[in-house]
Amino acid sequence: MAQDSVGLSSDYQFWMQKVSTWDQASTVETQQDTCLHLPRFQEFLRQMYEALKEMDSNTVIERFPTIGQLLAKTCRNPFILAYDESQKILIWCLCCLINKEPQNSGDSKLNSWTRGLLCHVLSAFRFDIREVGLFTQGLGYAPADYYPGLLKNMVLSLVSELRENHLNGFNTQRRMTPERVRALSRVCVLLITLPDFEPLVEALLTCHGCEPQEVLWPEFFDAVSEAFLLKKISLPTSAVVCLWLRHLPSLEKAMLHLFEKLISSERNFLRIERFVRDSLLPEAACHPAIFRIVDETFRYALLETDGAPEILATIQVFTRCFLEALEKENKQFKFALRTYFPYASPSLVTALLQHPKDIPQGLWHQSLQHISEMLREIVEDQTHGSYGGPSDCWFAFIHFGGWADVAAEQLLRSEADPPEAVLWLLAFSYSPRDGSQQRAQTMEEVKAVLGRLLKLLRSPGFSARDVQAAAGQSREEAPRPLECGPLIRRLLLNFLLWAPGAHAIAQEVITLMAPTREITHEITGFLDQTLYRWDHLCTAAPASRKLASELLTELRGQV
Amino acid sequence: MESLLQQLARFSEVLAVSRTPHVSTWDPATVRRALQWARYLRHVHRRFGRHARIRTALERRLQSQWRQDSGSGPAPDPGLTNFQALGRCDLVLALRLLQNRALREAVWHALLQQVFPGPGVPGADEDTLQGRLAHLARRRAAVHVLRLHGYQESPVVQEDALLKTQAELLLGRLRERAGAQAEGPGGLLSGLWERGPQDNFLKVLAAALLLSPPSPRPQEEETGPGTPNTPGEGHHELLRWLLGKSDILAAFCRRLPAGVVAAVAGRHPELSRVYLGLLADWGRHLHYDLQRGVWVGAESQAVPWEELYGRFQSLCQAPPPLKDEVRTALESWKAQDGDFEVPGLSIWTDLLLALGTGA
Repeated sequence: MAQDSVGLSSDYQFWMQKVSTWDQASTVETQQDTCLHLPRFQEFLRQMYEALKEMDSNTVIERFPTIGQLLAKTCRNPFILAYDESQKILIWCLCCLINKEPQNSGDSKLNSWTRGLLCHVLSAFRFDIREVGLFTQGLGYAPADYYPGLLKNMVLSLVSELRENHLNGFNTQRRMTPERVRALSRVCVLLITLPDFEPLVEALLTCHGCEPQEVLWPEFFDAVSEAFLLKKISLPTSAVVCLWLRHLPSLEKAMLHLFEKLISSERNFLRIERFVRDSLLPEAACHPAIFRIVDETFRYALLETDGAPEILATIQVFTRCFLEALEKENKQFKFALRTYFPYASPSLVTALLQHPKDIPQGLWHQSLQHISEMLREIVEDQTHGSYGGPSDCWFAFIHFGGWADVAAEQLLRSEADPPEAVLWLLAFSYSPRDGSQQRAQTMEEVKAVLGRLLKLLRSPGFSARDVQAAAGQSREEAPRPLECGPLIRRLLLNFLLWAPGAHAIAQEVITLMAPTREITHEITGFLDQTLYRWDHLCTAAPASRKLASELLTELRGQV
Repeated sequence: MESLLQQLARFSEVLAVSRTPHVSTWDPATVRRALQWARYLRHVHRRFGRHARIRTALERRLQSQWRQDSGSGPAPDPGLTNFQALGRCDLVLALRLLQNRALREAVWHALLQQVFPGPGVPGADEDTLQGRLAHLARRRAAVHVLRLHGYQESPVVQEDALLKTQAELLLGRLRERAGAQAEGPGGLLSGLWERGPQDNFLKVLAAALLLSPPSPRPQEEETGPGTPNTPGEGHHELLRWLLGKSDILAAFCRRLPAGVVAAVAGRHPELSRVYLGLLADWGRHLHYDLQRGVWVGAESQAVPWEELYGRFQSLCQAPPPLKDEVRTALESWKAQDGDFEVPGLSIWTDLLLALGTGA
């Protein structure tokens, strides 16, 4: 507490000096300085109020003999009064100065003076235009009745001026000079969070002048970006796109904000989708420049986290929402897909873009075959042609994660020998960095497990131990944890969901499979993703769906 | 219902007193009760906003009340005049009391504690009285900051924020009074004209007439649905009143810039006919000075040639059908004068020549 009060005293000196400087001259420099310091000053006012409310008015005057001066200067500063919540905190501070039981004429005088200041804050800056005052009075209106309307009209007038600028460039009488636009963007920094200003913020963002250089104040972008992320303002997508195109740090902040939200909550596809949609990033990404930056950020995030499933899931959800937005805007032909995925071959992207939902189930294996062959050709081509190498290919592939899941499911649902192409695709999607020998080994292993699982499928009944054996582990007397890689786990889980005979033992197998928290987490993620995907494909069998939901609830309960 | 109407009437009285020296007799309890009352009416506003019957009944009572009050003095008490005003009656009351120096010190302190309880009060912040008072203060400061930096008055009357706001306020009042009063809103408008300043009033009139939807043209009325001539939209009353006051109408056409009058005339055909009549009249008062080769007026108030030309030019630049009507009128006046093609004989010939064929 003593520490705090020392801090407050030194802050007090600092702000007293600042406010006096602002009070003495209203130059562009002082205004800039004011705008720059407003958030910190508001914080100081808040601390001041917290300190003042604990004291009686006499103590206040003893501790801060010049507080009257400080608050009076603050009351006279329209910038401070217009900023965020400063006017409210200022009123609270003034209330603390009032002496509830005035003992002498000095106390009363001070009270009266404070009363004057309070009235000033509440009815400050009366319109000094006589005609307007007389007219509105004649109509029986008080300023409280028309200030909101007046502000709205001023904003609209500025908006129409800016639009005229935008449409006609230099050839208009009412052209707003770049200096005026810049000055306007500067004062907007403090006014952004007033809902009345949304049209003006939008117009400033979307209207480009003819100047090659940015005319808007950099702090304006920062303020808009922050207010947008904190949901203090709502802007149409077009304005947000302009913000991100004109000010890269804002886009970076939006991405970081999305990651922060994802990290701080449980992995759940519906929630991821809500966050992703909420961020407006998919719509904005219809602009290729924004898409490229968002996509690169995802790639870095994948590298940094060594392919964290959360990031993979987010990329897939993002891609789905992005394609939806693209379709809505009907921009497929405006920008070639190459613009969005320059590192992948256009034929591969076209094949991946085909949503499994839009293809009859009977033809899925054909699509898988096609995608697999294309990928394999690029991956095994040592010269790495005109497009990126294996890692770029893989990155393009995982955007459309639906196909890897279809591959895993298809393998278990066909009685025939597993097609080589589908096995390769699965092995590639799980470990893209493997060499061809390693991959061949993986494929062999998968093939063997598959064969055993399909055999179980045909048998009249089987136990959890049988499944364990099918996964390639020796049948021992005592049950022990089922150790296998994520790819085999995925096959087993699919088997449990699809094989009618496995439903009864599903819980038991999962217990065997998930000895660690990490694997439980992985399985939860798989079940959640599967349910989400089925909902979008509308393909789930009711029994499988029910089982998946039950298992998911069970596992979530454990965590 | 009747008790609600009575409460409303009583609160209107309280609100009227709140800005007078009479509040010196109030004690903290009076202030508390008055605020409670305001809160109750705000609740009524929220509750019955969509209840047409109750809303209309309340509105009618408020308007008759206001008319009674405004009949007595020059500037009526700005208080509760419509249903909307109920939504912010606590705000108006608090502002009046806080600013009323006649309120005794101790009572004022009690008021302050009630209105500004400080942070941590339950309820959405924007919805509390202190939140709304602070928001209003913020908006006022914002208007001020904008006026100092960035905002400029617009030469386009209907886009100028100050004129547009005044016009909206005027139309609002006219709507409230329309139909309910036997003599119409004439008294209000004439009072505003007399009180002045007249130039501002004329500009506000123009802005209001430009804000309103265009009056239907006769032929459109027959062929299509057009804009229904519904009473109570404010501008009908405004236009009717203006057309009935020849001196004010003349001032309107003469004192406002050519472009503004042309724009209003383009919207309202009734007004364009009168305007053309006035222009014809002004033109006939000019005679040709042979020696100097110019049209001059005999009296000092005469409209000079340059202005007349400017006004016709604006009209000819208006969108059709106005621009065609103006040309037809000029041609017919020229024909009446003898259809001369030589300059200096008929002012209409000369105007048509000056305006050129393409203008």
